[in-house]
Amino acid sequence: MIVCVAVVGHQNNPLYLQSFTEADDALKLHHVVHCSLDVIDERVNNPKRSAPTLNETFLGLLYPTENYKVYGYLTNTKVKFLMVTTDLDVKDADARNFFRKFHAAYVDAVSNPFHVPGKKIASRSFGARVSTIVKSFGSGTVG
Amino acid sequence: MEDYPEELRTPPVSLVSIVGCPEMHASISAALSSQQPPMNTLALPDFANANILSRTARNRDPLAPPQAVSGILRKDWLLKHRTRVPAVVAAMFRADQVSGDPAQWLQACSDLENLKSMIQGRHSKLVVILVQAQAGDELGEEVIVALRKRAEIDSKHLLVLVESDETERNKSLLKLRTIFVELCSAYYKEQGRRIKARIEKRNFSSVELSVRYCFKVAVYAEFRRDWPEAQKFYEEGVRVLREMIGTSTRLPPAQRLVEIKAVADQFHFKISTLLLHGGKVIEAITWFRKHIRSFERLVGSPEVAFLHWEWFSRQFLVFGELIETTSTTVPDTLSPRFGTADNALTEWEFQPAYYYQLAANYLREKRCALECPSSRANVTGDNEIPDSVMSSVYIGQYVRLFEQGDTISVLPLSDAEYTSYALSEAERFQDSYEIIALFRKAYESFLSLGATRMAFSCSAGMAIEYYAAGEFSNAKQLFDGVAGLYRQEGWTTLLWEILGYLRECSRKLNSLMNFISYSLEMAALPVFSGSVQGYSENKSKCGPSGWPTISRREEIQQEVVNILEGKHTPEVIDDEFNLELTEESTHIVIDQISPLRIVLVASVAFHDQSVKPGSPLSVSVSLLSHLPSPVMIDRLEVQFNQSDCNFVMVSAQEDSSMLNSHVDGQVVHSTSLTLFSNKWMRLRHEVKSGQSGKLECLSVKAVLNKRLVVSCQAESPASMEDSPLWKFEDQVETLPTKDTALAFSGQKLIQVEEPDAQVDLILDSNGPALVGEVFIVPVTILSKGHSVHSGELKINLVDAKGGGLLISPTEAEESESHHVELLGVSTVTGDEVSKEEVDNIKKIQYSFGVVSVPTLVTGDSWSCKLEIKWHGAKSVMLYVSLGYSLDSSEDASLHRLNVHRSLQVEGKIPMIVGHQFLKPFRREPLLLSRIRSSSGNDKKDSLAMNESNMLIVSARNCTEVPLRLHSIAIESDGDGKQLCSVEQISGISNEYAVVAPSTEYKSIFSVNPRASSPDFCLGELCLNWSRDVRLGENQDSHVIMKQRLPEVHIEEPPLVLSIECPPYAILGVPFTFYVKIHNSTPLLQEIKYSLVDSQNFVFSGAHNHAAFILPKTEHTVSHKLVPLGSGSQQLPKITVTSVRYSAALTPPTTATTVFVYPSEPKFNLEKSHSISDECVS
Repeated sequence: MIVCVAVVGHQNNPLYLQSFTEADDALKLHHVVHCSLDVIDERVNNPKRSAPTLNETFLGLLYPTENYKVYGYLTNTKVKFLMVTTDLDVKDADARNFFRKFHAAYVDAVSNPFHVPGKKIASRSFGARVSTIVKSFGSGTVG
Repeated sequence: MEDYPEELRTPPVSLVSIVGCPEMHASISAALSSQQPPMNTLALPDFANANILSRTARNRDPLAPPQAVSGILRKDWLLKHRTRVPAVVAAMFRADQVSGDPAQWLQACSDLENLKSMIQGRHSKLVVILVQAQAGDELGEEVIVALRKRAEIDSKHLLVLVESDETERNKSLLKLRTIFVELCSAYYKEQGRRIKARIEKRNFSSVELSVRYCFKVAVYAEFRRDWPEAQKFYEEGVRVLREMIGTSTRLPPAQRLVEIKAVADQFHFKISTLLLHGGKVIEAITWFRKHIRSFERLVGSPEVAFLHWEWFSRQFLVFGELIETTSTTVPDTLSPRFGTADNALTEWEFQPAYYYQLAANYLREKRCALECPSSRANVTGDNEIPDSVMSSVYIGQYVRLFEQGDTISVLPLSDAEYTSYALSEAERFQDSYEIIALFRKAYESFLSLGATRMAFSCSAGMAIEYYAAGEFSNAKQLFDGVAGLYRQEGWTTLLWEILGYLRECSRKLNSLMNFISYSLEMAALPVFSGSVQGYSENKSKCGPSGWPTISRREEIQQEVVNILEGKHTPEVIDDEFNLELTEESTHIVIDQISPLRIVLVASVAFHDQSVKPGSPLSVSVSLLSHLPSPVMIDRLEVQFNQSDCNFVMVSAQEDSSMLNSHVDGQVVHSTSLTLFSNKWMRLRHEVKSGQSGKLECLSVKAVLNKRLVVSCQAESPASMEDSPLWKFEDQVETLPTKDTALAFSGQKLIQVEEPDAQVDLILDSNGPALVGEVFIVPVTILSKGHSVHSGELKINLVDAKGGGLLISPTEAEESESHHVELLGVSTVTGDEVSKEEVDNIKKIQYSFGVVSVPTLVTGDSWSCKLEIKWHGAKSVMLYVSLGYSLDSSEDASLHRLNVHRSLQVEGKIPMIVGHQFLKPFRREPLLLSRIRSSSGNDKKDSLAMNESNMLIVSARNCTEVPLRLHSIAIESDGDGKQLCSVEQISGISNEYAVVAPSTEYKSIFSVNPRASSPDFCLGELCLNWSRDVRLGENQDSHVIMKQRLPEVHIEEPPLVLSIECPPYAILGVPFTFYVKIHNSTPLLQEIKYSLVDSQNFVFSGAHNHAAFILPKTEHTVSHKLVPLGSGSQQLPKITVTSVRYSAALTPPTTATTVFVYPSEPKFNLEKSHSISDECVS
C-alpha cells in the first residue's frame, strides 16, 4: 500500500505531499521523504554511478527505513517524485508504472495556465487523480 | 556487541587436555596455541584431577522416560565445549614410571583405566605420551605394546616426547600437534555426525531439540572450521525457530517469545559474523533484511512491547557494529544501479550509520512503549515484583529462586510476574543517553558521507531525546541547527515540529524573547495545503505544538498577545510558566537573513532617484506580515541615516501623549495601522531632503501591544527577496507599492545632489603641442556667483587612447620614459595673490598635480599656466578639476563643489631630420668594403679616408605652424674631432631660417676623415629651433633637438679614380678627357679599362687597354673627344677594373655628364664667379 507521495522542486522544497494512511504518522512521512532526498542527491550527483543510468528517470528503491520503502523518480526538468510504500515486495515494473502515471498527472497539473511554475500544487483535481493512481497501485489494474 | 559472551564473539578453538607430568605442560600448551589453527589446552597436573572431565553431573538413566525439554539452548553449553570438554585427552607418563618398578607400572595402569572410564561417555580421543629424559634411552618394546593394549589405542597414538634435547623435543612436539589436529577433527566430525544423524532421522521429541541440535552441529562445524556447514545449520536453526513461534506452548506466551528471540539473536549474530568475516557483504545484508522482516511484527502483548523494541534495536546496533568493525566496502561486482531489479540493495545499507539511526529509532520506540500508560495499567497494583528472579540455565529464560528451609528450588514465573520484573529492570536504565549516543554516531557518520538531511534528522532525534531528558539548552542548540536546514529548504511541516520544541525549550529556559520569536515564526509559517486535517492532537507524533493548522497558528499568535498584555492563560499557569514581563519592552530585530522576516518585512522606496537639497520627496513605507490574525501597530518609527528626516506614525487610537518627548522627527497621525495577513500595508509620507549625499532609510520600528518593539531593517523593493517559506505558496502575488515600476525598481536610498557650481573653469590651448617644447596651457578660474574657498585644482594627464598611465610598464624605472610630463604650474605674476599661498600645497608629479587656489570673491578670476612637456608623440587628455567650498567654516568644508573640464592635446614631432653622404665630385675611390658586403645586411655608409666626403642634412617641418631653425650643427664626441674634421659648407646665413609647414631645409657638411675605422661615430646632429611667433610674445623658448648620426665605415681606398674634364664643351670643338688612377698602395697594380662608344661623341684612343701602376704613383688615361650633339650629354662610359682586387670602378652618370654648347658662350665674368647653394642642389 502506498502511504505517501510527494513532488519535490528544484530547491528540494516540497511542492506536493499527500499521505494516505490512517495512522497518525504523517509527520514521520515528511521526515522519510525529506531524508530520501539525500539518496537522490547521491545517485544523481555521483558521476560514476549515474553513467549507465543517464536517461533513466526511475531511480529505484531509495531507502528502506523502518516499515517503509521509498522509491524515487526524477523528471528531466529535475523535479523529484517520491513514493513511500509499506509493501514488502514491490516489483520494479509496478513502481515504474506508477511513476509514469503520476508524471502524466503532474504534467497535466502544471500545464494549467493558472499554475505558476515552481509553486506548490494546490489543484484539487490533481489530488483526486493521484488518489486514484495510488488506489490502483499493485492491484493488478495498473498497466 | 560487547553484551555477547566472549565464546560467542570469537570463533571456537579446539580443546585438548593433557594429564600428568606437569613440568611439560607449559611448553606443550605454548606449542599448541602458537600454531595455526590454534588449540587450547586444558592442563591437569595429576590424574587425580581428571575427574572434572567426566560427565557425572547429569548421569541419566537411559531407561527412564525422556524428560520434557525445558529450554532451547543451555547458556553454558558453548562455554563448556570451549573450556571443559576436550576433544583429545593425552595421558602423560614418564618413561621410568612404566619401565622400572612394577608397583609404578600398576599405578600407571590404574590411572589409565580411570581416565579411560572418565572420558568414555564423552567420546574424547585418548593419546598416551611417554616422556623420556634423553633420546638415547630405549624403552622396551614390550612396555610400549603393553601400554598400548591397556589404553586400547593405535600405535601412532602413542608418542614419545624427549625432554632434554631441544631439536628432538621440537620434532616430537610437532608430531604431537599433527596427531592432535587429526584427532580433534575426527572428534568434532564424529560429534557433529552423531547429532546430524538425529536431525536427519527426526529422532527428537520436541522442536526445541531440533533447534538445539542445529546449533550443536553448527558449532561442531565451526570447531572444524567448516564455515559453510556451520552457516547452513545456523540458518536451519533459525528456520525451525521461526516455525516454533506459533506452535510451542511450553512457556507462557510472553516468555516464550522472549526466549525465542534471545536464541534467534544468537543464531543471527553467528550468521552475520560468519558472512561478514567471509567477505560476503551482500549476503549478510540480505540475510539481515530477512531476519528483520521475520521478527518485525512479533511485538507480543503491549505490556511487553518494550522488550521487543529493545531487542529489535539491538539487532540493528549489533549489525551496524559488525559492519563497522569488518570495514565493509561496496563490492565492485555489484551493479551500480542501487534499488532496482539489478541490485536490490541501497547505498545506505552499506553504512553503519543507517543501522545506528534505526537502532536509535527503535530504542526510542522502546522508551515510548515504556512510557505509554497502557503498559503500566495492568502491572501496577496487584502484581508485586517477585523477589529473587534470575536468569535460568537456558538462554532467554527467567526463573524464581524459592527457598524453603534448606532446600532451594527453582520455580517458573507467570507472565504477569515476569512482566513486572522486566519493567522494573527496564526502568533502571536511562535509555535517553543511549539513544543520543546512537544518534550522534549516525549523525557524524552521515555528515561525513555528505548526507546532510539524514544527519540533521539524526540531530533532531538527539535533540528530542535531550528534550525528553530535560536538558533544554542542549536540545535548543541542536534544534536551532535543524531548523536552519528546514527553513532553507522550505519544509514547513518539519519546521513547525522543530519550532514547537524550540518554543517549549524557551518556555522551560524562561527566555521570553526566544519564546516570542519562535511563537511568532510558527504563527507566520505557511500551512502545508496538502496535509490531512483533523488528525488527533497526538503530541508525541507531531511535536509539542500539535499538527499545523490555521487555527493552531491563530492560537499561538493569541498566546503571544496574551503574554504581552499580561493575561496568563490557564494552560500557561499549569506549566508553572513564569515568564515575567519586565517593565522594559522586548526588542526583536529582523534583518534580511532573519527567519522572522515572515513575521514582518518592511519595504521602503523613494519615489525619485535623486533630489535637490532641501526639496520635498515622497517615500513609500510598506509592511507585510504573514501572521494569521490582524496585527495592530501602535506606533511606527521610520529611521534614516540623516536623523532630521526621521518620522513617527501613530495610530489614531493611540494617545499621542504617550509618546516620549525625546522622539525626534515629525509625528504623523494615521487613521489605522492594522496589518492584515498576507496584505501589504502601504503608507506614503513626504520628507524634506537634508544635506547632499546619500539619504538612506535604515530601519522601521513597529511597536506592538505597547511592549513589543519589532525593528525591521528597511529593504529596497528592487532587491527584496521572497521568504523561502512563502515563495512556493500558491497565492496571489502582491506588490509592496501600487506603482508597479516602483515595486520592481524602488530603492531605499536616494542621492541628494550637490548645489550647482557657479564657477567657470576655462582651459585654453593653441593647437597641438610639439615634442620637446614646454607647452603652455593657460587655466582660468572665473567666479560667477560663488565665492571660492579653500579651492584646489587637480590636474591629471591621461593617455587619450586609454590605458591610464603615461608610462610603459617596462620602462617605468626611468624618468625619461614618461612620454608626457607635467613640469609645473606657474601663476600669473602681478595678481594680488601672494606667492607663498600658491606654493603651499603645490604638488606636482609626472602626470598629476594639485595646486591650491586662493580665496576668490564673486566676480574675481584667477589663472595659472600649466607647463607640459612631451617626450614623444602622444595624444593626451588633460583633466582639470576644481574643488571648492562655499565658505571657510568647518561644516561647509565637508560639502565641496566640483567643476570638471577636460581637453585633448595632441603631441607632434616638429621636424623630421634626414641625412645623406655623397662622394667628392668626379672622384671615385675604390672602397673595398662596399664590394665585399654586397649582400646588403650591413647598411653602414662607407667613407674614404683623406677625401672630402659630402654630408647633406635635411630637416622637414611636419607641423602645421612655421618654425624657426636657428642652427644646425654636428657635435662630434670626444676624440672624434681629431680623427675627422667636419666643416659646414652651407647653412643658416642669418639669425634663423624660417621653415614653412611641410617644407625642407638642407645644410651641407664636408667630412674629411683622417683615420680608418670600421665603425666610426660622427656625432650628433643638433637642431636648434623655436616656433615662429609674433613679436612681443615669449621668444626665448629655443628647443634643441638632437639626433644621433649613424656609424660609418672609414677606410683607405687603394685606388682613387678621378675624372678631369672641362666644365663645358662646344659643339664640334675637341677636348681632352682624362681619367687619373692613383695607386696609394705600396704594391704594383694592374688595371684594365674599357670605354663604351657614345653616339654624341667621337673619340680617339683605345677602347680597351691595360696598364700597370707603380706604387704611390698615378696613371693617366686620356682620350680626345669631339661632341656631336649639344645639350647635357653623357660622356662615353669608362670602366676601370683592378685586377688585384677584381673590382670595377665606374664613375656615376652625374660625374660623367658635360654640357655641350652649340657655340662659344659669352659669360659675364663677375656673375659666373658666385657660388651659390643652388649649384649643388
